[in-house]
Amino acid sequence: MSNERIKTEEFWNPEHIVEKFWNGLKDGVIYARKCKECGAIEFPPHLACNTCGYHETEWTTLSGKGVLKSFVFTGALNARLALEDRGLKYVCGEVQFDEGPSFNAVIIGINKRKGREIEGKLPVRVRPVFYDMGRYTTLFFELDE
Amino acid sequence: MLTNVKLGKNMRSVSIVGIGATPFFNGVENETYKGITVGELFGHAALDAMKDAGVEPRDVQYFFHGSANPYILNKCITPNLQVADWFGMRGKGSLSHSEGCCTGYIALEEAVFAVASGAYDIVLTGCSEQGTGMPDGDTPAHFRVPLTSEVLFPDLDSIFDQAYGRYLGGGPGMNHDDWINYYTKENGLTADQIDDVLSHQAYHFRRAAALCPRAIRRKPFDEMAKEAGYDDVWEYMKSPYNPKMTQYLRTASDSCVADGAAACIVVPTEIAHKFTDKPIEVLGIGASVLDAIVPHLEKKATAEAARQVYELTGLTPDDIDLLYVNDFIGSSAFLAAEEVGYLPKGEGWKYVLDGRIAYDGDKPMNTNGGRTSYGHAFGASGLADIFEAVTQMRGEAGERQVKKLPKHVFLRGFGGAQNVRAIILRSAF
Repeated sequence: MSNERIKTEEFWNPEHIVEKFWNGLKDGVIYARKCKECGAIEFPPHLACNTCGYHETEWTTLSGKGVLKSFVFTGALNARLALEDRGLKYVCGEVQFDEGPSFNAVIIGINKRKGREIEGKLPVRVRPVFYDMGRYTTLFFELDE
Repeated sequence: MLTNVKLGKNMRSVSIVGIGATPFFNGVENETYKGITVGELFGHAALDAMKDAGVEPRDVQYFFHGSANPYILNKCITPNLQVADWFGMRGKGSLSHSEGCCTGYIALEEAVFAVASGAYDIVLTGCSEQGTGMPDGDTPAHFRVPLTSEVLFPDLDSIFDQAYGRYLGGGPGMNHDDWINYYTKENGLTADQIDDVLSHQAYHFRRAAALCPRAIRRKPFDEMAKEAGYDDVWEYMKSPYNPKMTQYLRTASDSCVADGAAACIVVPTEIAHKFTDKPIEVLGIGASVLDAIVPHLEKKATAEAARQVYELTGLTPDDIDLLYVNDFIGSSAFLAAEEVGYLPKGEGWKYVLDGRIAYDGDKPMNTNGGRTSYGHAFGASGLADIFEAVTQMRGEAGERQVKKLPKHVFLRGFGGAQNVRAIILRSAF
C-alpha cells in the first residue's frame, strides 16, 4: 500500500457504497467494484478486493446475466419467510455472473417440478429480476429460457 | 478468498488443566432447572473446572465469557461483568465475546492467546447459554418464559450480513443444505442414499448420547421406534415421526436447543503438571471466516482452517484419533470429517452407514452425541465438545470411552454464519 494516507476531507465526504448499491437496484443497475490491481470484480461492492487483498477498487456495473450452478429447495427450517409471504416459488443457489463473481442468490419462478427438470441440466442461464420488496428493491434471478 | 495465512508458534505452549460442564437441558420445561439463571450456570461450570484443576477462584487471573446471543436470551450486553461475582472473580479482568455457535471453540482460542502471550498464567474460559427461553419482561433473571418463534425467527437472520446478504436472500436459504447438496451431486448419490446416511449418523450419535449423562436426548432411536409401533428402526427414521425440515435434513439431524454451560482452565504447559497428571496441550488453532453469501462457505472455511493447523503442527489426518464437529446442521458431521481428512474423500458416507464413526467404531467422532443428541446450547456447545474431548483423552469417558486412548484430537468449530476453527489437542502425559 502506498504511504499516502486517506485525507480527512475524504472521511467527511465518504461515498455511501451500500446505499448506492440498493438505490442502483431500484433503477435496474447492478453496481459492483473492480480491483485496481488484479481486475477482479467485487460483488456485492466493498472497499477493498477480497480476491487478491489489494486495498483499492473502483465502480463498475454488471449485466446481471449469468448461470445458476447449483441450488437447493428450502423447507420448514430454512424458508425465506418474506418470500413465502408473497407466495413466490423459489430456490436458493449459486449464481455466477458472466463477469466472474459468484454469490448465493434467490432464483424465483422455480417450483418442485421445474427444479427437478433443470437439476440435470446445470449450469443453466439466468437473468436478473429487480424485485420490489416495499422499502427497497432487491436482486433476484429467473431462468433465461 | 485468500489462503496465505501461515500460523506462527505461540510464544509459549498452553495446556488445559481443568474442565467443567453442566448438563444440557431444557430450562423452561424441566422442573429441576426451571428458574436457574445464566450466571449460576456459568458459576457451576467455572467452579467445576477450578475444582478439576485444583485451584480456587483466588488463583485465577482472568476469564473469558462466551455467549451466542446474550441480548435476546438474557437482555444483557456485557455478560462477563454480570457473572464474575458468581465464582469469586469480582474485580478481575474479563472479556465477553460472541461468535454464534462457534463461540465455545473461540473461547479456547482467546484463552490460549492470553496465556501464550505471557500476560497471564491461569485463565478460565467459559460459555453459558440459555437457548430455550428468554426473559419474562422486566423482571429478575429467574423469571423465564419459552423463546417464542415471533422473537426467535426474525432474530435468527441477525447472523447474516445486514448490508447485503440478508436481503439478497440466497445465503440464509442455502445455510443448511448447500454442502450436502454439493456432496450428493459430486459423488453421484441419490436423495434416498443421503437420507439413509443421515439416519445412520443420527442413530449412532444417539447411541453415544445414551451413555452420556450430561446429554439432553438420551433415549435410543430403537426405543423410540418401538414406542411408536415400529419394529424396524430404519423405517421409523423415515417416518412422519422424523419429518424433513429442509430438502435433506430430518428432525433427527437438526440440533436440539438447550441450556447449559461449560468451562476450562488453561495454563502454560511448563507448569501444567502442578495442576493435573493429565494435561492436554493445545497444539494449534486454525481459523477462517466466511459470510453466508459465499457459495459453499462451510466447505471452503473448513478446508482453510484445517490447512492452517496441519501446516503449523506438522501433523497429518492420519495422526488424528478422534474428531469433534459442531453439527447443528447434522450433515456437517461426516462432511467436515472428510474435509479435514479424517475420513477418505467421497467415502465418508460409507463409514457412516457401517457405523465406523460411532464411539465404538474405528473412526470415532462426536462421542457425546453431537448437537443433535447432546444438545445445542449455542455458544456453550463448543466448550462442551472440548470437555468431552479432554474426558476421552484422559480415558475417563466410562461406557462411551473410545477403543484407542486418543493422543491427538481434532475439533472443527462452526457457527455464526459462519466462523470456523480447527483445533488440535494433544495429550501431554
